Amino acid sequence: MNRRQKQGYITAIAAVVLLAILPLKLGSHSVLSLLHLDVSILSEMLLFAIAAMSVNLLLGYTGLMSFGNAAYFGLGAYGAGLSIHYLNMNFIEGAIIGTAVALVGGLLVGPFLLRRRGIYFALLTLAFGQVFYFIAYRANEFTGGEDGMSFPRPYFGFPGWHMDLQEGTFYYLMLLVFAAVLVGFWLIVRSPFGRTLQAIRQNELRVRYLGLDSNKFIFVALLVSAAMAGLAGALYGLLIMFAAPLMLDWQQSGDFVMIMILGGAGSIWGPVVGSLIYVIGKDIISTLTQTWQIYIGALFVICVIAFPSGLLGTLLNSIARRDVGAPISEEAAPHKARESGAPAGNAAVAAEQKES
Amino acid sequence: MAEALLEAKNVSKHFGGVVAVNSVSVTIEQGSIYAVIGPNGAGKTTFFNALSGFYIPDGGQVLYKGQDITTMPNWQRVQLGMSRTFQTPSIFPELTVYENLLIGVQSQQKIAFKLRLPSAARKKEIDARIDELLGFVNLVHLKDRPVAELSHGSQRLCEIAMSLSVDPTIVLLDEPMAGLAEAETERIMRVIRDLHDRLGLTVLFVEHNMRVVLSLADHITVLDRGAMLAQGTPSEISNSQTVREAYLGQEVLNRV
Repeated sequence: MNRRQKQGYITAIAAVVLLAILPLKLGSHSVLSLLHLDVSILSEMLLFAIAAMSVNLLLGYTGLMSFGNAAYFGLGAYGAGLSIHYLNMNFIEGAIIGTAVALVGGLLVGPFLLRRRGIYFALLTLAFGQVFYFIAYRANEFTGGEDGMSFPRPYFGFPGWHMDLQEGTFYYLMLLVFAAVLVGFWLIVRSPFGRTLQAIRQNELRVRYLGLDSNKFIFVALLVSAAMAGLAGALYGLLIMFAAPLMLDWQQSGDFVMIMILGGAGSIWGPVVGSLIYVIGKDIISTLTQTWQIYIGALFVICVIAFPSGLLGTLLNSIARRDVGAPISEEAAPHKARESGAPAGNAAVAAEQKES
Repeated sequence: MAEALLEAKNVSKHFGGVVAVNSVSVTIEQGSIYAVIGPNGAGKTTFFNALSGFYIPDGGQVLYKGQDITTMPNWQRVQLGMSRTFQTPSIFPELTVYENLLIGVQSQQKIAFKLRLPSAARKKEIDARIDELLGFVNLVHLKDRPVAELSHGSQRLCEIAMSLSVDPTIVLLDEPMAGLAEAETERIMRVIRDLHDRLGLTVLFVEHNMRVVLSLADHITVLDRGAMLAQGTPSEISNSQTVREAYLGQEVLNRV
C-alpha cells in the first residue's frame, strides 16, 4: 500500500466515524443539536453527495457535462414512491425499483446522448431531463401532477425481520449506503475502466486511436451515473416520503452540478464536501433569512472565482505542491539515465535534448 | 515480392466544393518505409486521415491485408494493426508518461473494460511492457512526469511509444518532424528507422522536410493540389523531371 492509498483509507474511515458520532448525545446535547440541525439534514447531505458524485463520474472523470442527472434522481424517487403507493412494496424493494427505473431511463436516453459531445451533450441531457419532468407533471392521475405524491415510509427489513425507521436509524442506514457507494466509486475510478474514462476526458480521439470504442465506455459511465442518481433519489424520496416533479427539474440538476463544483470535480471527496457546505449551509442560512438563495449564489460565485478546482481540490493541490517541493526540470533528468548505465547512444540523445 | 499491407484505390475526399484529395492510389508493402510528400495544401494530411479512419473517403477504397476497411471505425482499424500519431502530439496531458502508456497497454491486453485491478503477475507484465516501450524511445527517466510538462520532442516520442503500445503492424506518422529543432529531428529519425529495423514494422509517414524523406523512405508518393504527381523510390523521385519542375526545384535541387 503506498502513502497516498494509506491517506485515502484514513480519510475515509475518519470521515465516516465523524459522521457517525455527529448525532450522538453527550448528556442532553449532541453536536447537531448545538448547531440547531436535525438529523434528517445529514441524511439529505449524504444523498445529495451521492447524486453529486453521479454527476462527478460524468463531468469530473469522463468530461461530459450533464445537466440532466435530476431526471434519474427524480425517476428514483417516483420509482420508489409509485411502487410503495400502488404495489405495497417494502423499503428495500422500493429503493431497488427506484434505482432500476432510473437505470432504465439511462438505457433509453443513453444511445441518443452518445451521439453528441461538448455543449450539445449538455443540451441533450437538459432536454431529456425536462421530458421526464413534463411526464411527471402531466400524468396527474398517476403521479399527483404538480402537487407531487406522498407515500408512507415502509418498514425496513425482509421476511422474518424488520424494523421501523425513525430519522436517527434512517441516517445510520444512509451512512452505510453512502460508505458502500463511496467504496464502489473508488473501486471504479481506479480500475482499468475508470482510468480509461479519465483518459477519455483528456483526449477521446487518442483513446479511440488506442483501439478502444470510447462510446462503449461512455455508455456504461452513463448507466452507472444514472443508477447512482436513481439510488440517491429513491432514498431521498423515502427520507421525505414524497416525490414531486421538481425533483426531476433542471434546477435540481443544477444544484447537483453546483455541489460538485463547490467541492471539486474529479476528486472522490469533492462532491461530499460540496454537499456538506451546500445542504448544511442552506439549512443554516435559510433559518436566518428568507433570501438565502442570494447568499448561496454569492458563495458559489466566490468559490468558483477563488477556488476554480473546488474547495477540496484547491486544498489538495496546495498540499500536493508542498509534498513535491520544487518541480524537477526535465533537463536534469537525463543525467540520471546516463548514470544508471544507459547506452552511449542514448546519452548522446539526452545531451541533444539538453541543448534543445 | 512483399505483399501489400495497406492499399488505397482511387481515394477521394472533398470538403464542400474543395477537392482535397483526388483519386489517389498507393500500395504500401509490408516492411517498407513509405512517405507521402507534397507542398502545403497538397492534401497529404487529408489523404493520411482517410487511410487512418479519421475521415471516411467520399470515393475509392482502402484495403488492409486485402480487407476492405474504407468505412471501418478508427478504433477497429487500430485493433487490426494500424496505429497512428498526429501532427500535434495527441496525448493525455495531465497523465504521467507511464499512465499514458498504460491506457494503450490495457487496450492491447484487452483489460481496459475491466473493473478489477490486474493481478500482481499481470501488473508486472504490464510494467515490463511499458518499460520496454519507454526504453525504445528513451523516455524511461521521464516515466513519472505529467506529459504536459515534457518538451515537444519528448511528447512526440511519448506519442510514438503510445502508438506502439497497441502492438501494431503498421505505424502511420503524421508529420513527425513538425515543429521540432534540428537535434530533435535527428532523434525522431533514429526512432523511425528503429521502428523498421529493430521492430520490423511497416511505416507510413507524411512529411515536407525533403532531407528527412529522402534519407528515410524507400517508397515515396508526391501529391500536389490533391492529385498524385509521382511515385517511386527516393532516387526516382529526386531525378524525376515532373517533380523537379512542379515542386522540388526550389528546395531540393540545391541540397541534394
